[in-house]
Amino acid sequence: MTSFDRLNAAWMVWDTPAPASRGAVLEYTKDLEKFLAEIERRAFRMAQMALRDQDDALDVVQDAMIKLTRNYASKPSAEWRPLFYRILENGIRDLQRRRSVRKRFMTWLPGVKEDPDGDTQDPLDNVADAAPAIPEALMQDEAIEKLEESLRALPARQRQAFSLRNFEGMDVAETAKAMGCSEGSVKTHYSRAVHALREQLGEAW
Amino acid sequence: MNEQVNGSLEERSRALFHDSVESMDFALRSRLKQARVAALAAAEHPRPWLLRSTTWAPAAGVTAAAVLGVALWFGSPMAHHSTVVAESPNLEDLDLVASTDENSTDAMEMLQDDIDFYDFADKAAGSEPAA
Repeated sequence: MTSFDRLNAAWMVWDTPAPASRGAVLEYTKDLEKFLAEIERRAFRMAQMALRDQDDALDVVQDAMIKLTRNYASKPSAEWRPLFYRILENGIRDLQRRRSVRKRFMTWLPGVKEDPDGDTQDPLDNVADAAPAIPEALMQDEAIEKLEESLRALPARQRQAFSLRNFEGMDVAETAKAMGCSEGSVKTHYSRAVHALREQLGEAW
Repeated sequence: MNEQVNGSLEERSRALFHDSVESMDFALRSRLKQARVAALAAAEHPRPWLLRSTTWAPAAGVTAAAVLGVALWFGSPMAHHSTVVAESPNLEDLDLVASTDENSTDAMEMLQDDIDFYDFADKAAGSEPAA
């Protein structure tokens, strides 16, 4: 064993709590994999709706998975879901904050012009799809696009309450844990979100 | 009535969301699976203390702030501006910029757009030998 290995092992022992037995680790790793496999696609879609970017959404989901498995794997499995969504939401907000700082910095730099919509245009967006669109699928795409836009326009807490309650199917108590607030606040945020969405989407939606 | 409308909004949005989850393409599903596998592998092999981001984050933050501060200080147009004014105060230029005729906005835009050119012209004028 080299001196580096010895030092490394010492640091790991010093910096982490007493390690769980190999059998226990294998057991909760199996449960965790099942949990993550069950939740990952919905989590990804929620992140994508909030961030409007596939790669960013994937990064945030993977980061949340890593943080959950590293720091909370030994917690009771009933706590994983609210914990996971709390980590995910923190990741989403961090990224949104970083984006807004970057945007401000870029507009401050000489020679960089701000896009009035705040979007970067992908030239491929303007290329027509070769396959003829099926009207029903098209309507569905349009409907979800409108929903995503309206969700993004909501304040973060309202968006989170609506997504967790309505998409993830969490009850009020679990949503409160995930959001780190009282059950009363969850109800308020959710109710405001529903009314705001109704106003934005209109009766015809 | 309103309850019914809101109820249908919740139901419809839920149905649309779940449809979009179910119809996710294979490439995305595969990437999510890779992310999951990587996360589980990371949990089984925790990084040593020395390599954790939290160990170096404060020092890196301070260094980045210092570098940015120095860059902003030396790169700020104010420093350059004060030197130029001290060397050759030119009131004609000021008049041109501050003129209030109908073309005054054009003058401002021209100065903003061609700032590199004026910088170059200023340096060229400064280095020109006196006749």
